[in-house]
Amino acid sequence: MLRTRGDRIAEYATCAVTVLVLLVLYAPILVSAVFSVVEIRRGEILWETFTFRHYVTLWSNASVIDALANTAIVAICSAGIASILAVLLALYTEWHGAIARTALTLLIYLPFLLPPIVTGLALLVASANADMDRSVLTIIIGHTIFVLAVAYRLVLTRLQALPPTLIEASFDLGASRWQTLRYVLLPHLASSILTGALLALTLSFDETLISSFVAGNEMTLPLRLWAMMRVGFTPEINALVTLVLLVSMALALAAASLLRPKGEPEED
Amino acid sequence: MPTRGLRGLIFAAVAALPAVVILVPLGSFLVMSVARAEKHRIIYDWTLQNYVNFLGNWTYLSTFLGTLWLCLEVVLLSLIVGYPIAWYIWRQKSWKRYALLQLAALPLFMSYIVKLYTLRSMLGLNGLVNQALVSLGILEQPSQVFLYNQRAVLITMTVIYLPYVVLPIFLSLERIPRSLLQASTDLGAGGWDTFRRVVLPLSMPGTIAGALFAFVLALGDFITPQMVGGTTGFTIGRVIFSQFGLAFDWPFGASMAAILLLVALLLIVAAGYAASRRRV
Repeated sequence: MLRTRGDRIAEYATCAVTVLVLLVLYAPILVSAVFSVVEIRRGEILWETFTFRHYVTLWSNASVIDALANTAIVAICSAGIASILAVLLALYTEWHGAIARTALTLLIYLPFLLPPIVTGLALLVASANADMDRSVLTIIIGHTIFVLAVAYRLVLTRLQALPPTLIEASFDLGASRWQTLRYVLLPHLASSILTGALLALTLSFDETLISSFVAGNEMTLPLRLWAMMRVGFTPEINALVTLVLLVSMALALAAASLLRPKGEPEED
Repeated sequence: MPTRGLRGLIFAAVAALPAVVILVPLGSFLVMSVARAEKHRIIYDWTLQNYVNFLGNWTYLSTFLGTLWLCLEVVLLSLIVGYPIAWYIWRQKSWKRYALLQLAALPLFMSYIVKLYTLRSMLGLNGLVNQALVSLGILEQPSQVFLYNQRAVLITMTVIYLPYVVLPIFLSLERIPRSLLQASTDLGAGGWDTFRRVVLPLSMPGTIAGALFAFVLALGDFITPQMVGGTTGFTIGRVIFSQFGLAFDWPFGASMAAILLLVALLLIVAAGYAASRRRV
């Protein structure tokens, strides 16, 4: 392709914007990592204050450990339940005998599309009406319906990409419905289920807005951080923040590496 | 095909759980919006008084309109910054493109509250922004203007919701067949003409989707305004949240959230319509 000067200017300008914005987007992890090990005064790094002490004291902070345990329980339960539901719902909505397919699909996507404040307070009102105390269980329900859309979408896309001949062949070879599901469909869906579960874990790990309505007296890690933030900035928070960022980025990268198409054809 | 009865039974079995945990809560919150609160008790008497109170009170109404305006600003700013980024990533090839795409997507999964926390410390009096401006000689001394006002909310929301705008735009750019670009060049169009007449119109569905994401997310956000907005950065999300805390008027809070829900649904439908009309 011929390149004019205008094209080159556009290329350089957008490159500059991209680099600048990526720096801003990644500043959180850099800033908190640096502040967690050294003190900075008047723009100067005080190297003599370098210490990993704040990471150690974090483990003796009972409220942080409690919040961490809650977050782990909620993330694992909601990702697990959402994955099972997603497979079930995807198989159902792709089934030729399904009723009210559009309405059901809309219902699945709604909590993800709506502002989280609406989902959060809808659950709060419903649990109050049902005389259900707010607890880890209500947080799990809230996170499950929030991450369900992502898990469902991934499984559905894979399911729709499967050639129908695969299932017909399975039936022709004498497999029962159950055997077809167990030995043909599920192995083909496995990686999309795993990717969905990982994304669900990541989303649940960070979820704050819905949790703030349904958590009651329980604390998840983001809620704990929010409470600590209101008090002020301490190196201990920075240590916690660095760990939180590393965990969520690791989860997201793991999901991304699963999503990456293998043997991608090169263009041009 | 199984019989009608069996199909109904299977539907009931599959849809029961989603209905109980999604449909019932949404329904009960809408019912709550037409109830009224009296001394910590909720009385269900099907009244539209909450909506009348909201629409008739200029303080609430102006906060709501101000929030809509703020969301619009967030959308415009993220499009102005996000579109060039998506375009640049799209122009790259093979590994560079994939790496940049991942770098742009990864912040989606960085903890929201953590981003808020670091942005707040960066914009603060002793923050990086002030320190940089002072050491560059642009400012004489650290300034308070970056934090605890409406502008701070705008900047913070844009940074947080930017990746939601970049990704859909990139995805719709990626769907444009290379042959169309070559045809445009062959027919004598320059870079700018190709962009304006081919690339920009074809990337509209993604641009609309990105704008929708940013708008809806900013609309219901109540933690960002609370953490960086100070007293002037008041949004409808904060008002709603306070009804479920100190003010303790759940029906009133529910009615405001119902209006929020209506706006979000209208936008989703409108965006879906606009995007489908532009599909080739």
